[in-house]
Amino acid sequence: MSGGMAAVVKMSDVPVPVATDLLASRPGRVIGLEGPAGSGLTRVGFSMLAGTPNPYRVVVVDVRGWLCPLAAWEVGIDPGRLAVVRCGDPARWPRAVAALLDGVKAIYAEVPRGIRDVVLRRLGAKARAREVTVILRPVEGRLPSGLAYLRVRADQVVWAGAGRGHGRLGCRTLVLELSGKGAAGRRMVVEVEDDGAHPVRVVSRLVASQTGRAAG
Amino acid sequence: MWFPDWLLRRPDAPPDRAAFVVGTRDGRPLVAAANAQAREAGVKAGMARRTAEALCPSGLSLGRDPAGETRRFELVLDVIEDLVPRVEVVEPGLAFVPIDGATRYFGGEKAVVDRVAGAVNRLEAGGRFGAAGGPFAAYWAARSADPMLIVEDDRAFLAELDISALAADELIATFRWLGVTTLGELAALPRGAVASRFGAPGLEAHRLASGEDRVVVPRRIPADLAAELIFEEPLLLLEQVGFAARRLAGLLIDQMDQHRVAPHRVEVEAEAAEGITQSRVWRSAEPLDDRALAERVWWQLRAWTETGGVPGGLARLKLSPADLSDEGYQPGLFEATTERIEADRALERTRTILGPDSVLVARPQGGRDPAERVQWTRWGEEFPEPTRSLGSPWPGKVPEPSPSLVPPHPQHLDVEWEAGIPTRVRLASRWEPVVAWAGPWRRLGRWWAEEGPSDFYQVVTSAGAMLCRVTDGRASVVGVYD
Repeated sequence: MSGGMAAVVKMSDVPVPVATDLLASRPGRVIGLEGPAGSGLTRVGFSMLAGTPNPYRVVVVDVRGWLCPLAAWEVGIDPGRLAVVRCGDPARWPRAVAALLDGVKAIYAEVPRGIRDVVLRRLGAKARAREVTVILRPVEGRLPSGLAYLRVRADQVVWAGAGRGHGRLGCRTLVLELSGKGAAGRRMVVEVEDDGAHPVRVVSRLVASQTGRAAG
Repeated sequence: MWFPDWLLRRPDAPPDRAAFVVGTRDGRPLVAAANAQAREAGVKAGMARRTAEALCPSGLSLGRDPAGETRRFELVLDVIEDLVPRVEVVEPGLAFVPIDGATRYFGGEKAVVDRVAGAVNRLEAGGRFGAAGGPFAAYWAARSADPMLIVEDDRAFLAELDISALAADELIATFRWLGVTTLGELAALPRGAVASRFGAPGLEAHRLASGEDRVVVPRRIPADLAAELIFEEPLLLLEQVGFAARRLAGLLIDQMDQHRVAPHRVEVEAEAAEGITQSRVWRSAEPLDDRALAERVWWQLRAWTETGGVPGGLARLKLSPADLSDEGYQPGLFEATTERIEADRALERTRTILGPDSVLVARPQGGRDPAERVQWTRWGEEFPEPTRSLGSPWPGKVPEPSPSLVPPHPQHLDVEWEAGIPTRVRLASRWEPVVAWAGPWRRLGRWWAEEGPSDFYQVVTSAGAMLCRVTDGRASVVGVYD
């Protein structure tokens, strides 16, 4: 997980315009999800695409062969609309994603190691031009700056339901740090609740101080 | 029945000068038909208007007039319907005539086609007539006819045709590249292999090449999905009729939308104020969407109105959909068919880049652990019979939520235990304390396959939660709750 945050204040204390649907996807927007496996971002990404209008296919590009469609179905993506493309080869990954951008309107793509920034920027430009919702999840590291309309970094995940050998995993609360245009140009911290059976929802919004003065 | 130059049979088309008709497809102006002089200059149907004008600068370029084309074609259809009912129009100049019943009545296919051809030629010469077992073969029989061709064996007839008979540019290019140049060569390939490589479009192409037209798969749909408008004041103005056509097409779509079906055929029925009822069936290879349907209804109504077929005005208009099927897949009318086709093409290209096993689809099935509960297949292929019933209870099933990441093979995990309780796990190079844990869910294993019992645990650390399996004291990660 990333380090702590400084200067976190309640949103009500700062008059910052915040979109009512911060984590909603929009055609032509690239969203970057950054965080290690276990941070909860895969389900956040699926949840963003669950709102894609019904005619469109949702395609998941799976780099490691690990992505499980059960989670996508649980957040509301119809099995008939979901296709999984397995591509672990960084040499062919850009071509495959470019081909998908030609016709698919909603893509969740893991980014393998070794993809150059310039390639990602080209793909981002193509997604914007073709009005495709693209969620990029680097398997390692971060996305180049300026690529994503909304950059989401996982800060913390807290599970409820399981105890010391009793109960079972139920609801989790994620603390996410948002930045980029989609966060009104500021660094923003939001708390998101995921009960596992529905799309995730933002339960409270906290805003860090403006970019340049926040520590992430 | 097909008139190659129907679009040029119009009063403003010059008989002694090159002329071509330009329509639009996907917003691009393309040549829809060209007369003999224009063809001599190199103009072909499907060519861009600018290219046609460059090849034939002295040629006259005419815009399409669908209503006029339909109106004139209506007279031909009336002549056919005097002999054989239920003619289906595809576009002005092309119609299908179901001749099963008429064959028995007139004593053979040739007798029917002779009669139809004779009646049509008396009104309009130059038509071509083909008879075959299905619409695709019949269309190509009519195109190959001079002026008449009766196909005995659809498959054998189609086998000789060039692969370009399939109206799918990308597929055709790939087939040619693979050395498949005729429909016969395509039909000779194993269907499963074609479906695996080319998906649904390839399967459709293989079916057509094999002489099997679109398979109608019955679905449970309400008996009557027809939409009807009754006008207390009969409509006399063309604009009013046009508005009614659009409104009723929209109404039908709304109705069918609820049942997720799309029609390939629609019967347009109009009743005049003076009591005369007329009907015509329009068909399309692709499911008719709202725009295409409204367009066809409008053409038909305009043709009837302008030929005096609706005396006293339009009193009732009814649209009855039929053939609500598309190779077993029914797009709802709210579904954007174009988007679906584009997405399928994109997946097809991706598969070409990555290989046949790279594009997968999945469906839920029964099972205890997450990996078992997903049934995978290659995109475009049929799912095999599920090996695990979804409706069975599956005792010991790991409860939801499901992990988002499930490794194809369990990943070894170092766990520290104290009195049977997990206390620490090693993630990469560091040890993380276990914050909470749930389970175990015990799985007895298939003893007959020498599979021992396993315990599943949900383990929570500050870095997230994972699903672990412990077999014979060895722990492994089988899922990550990401």
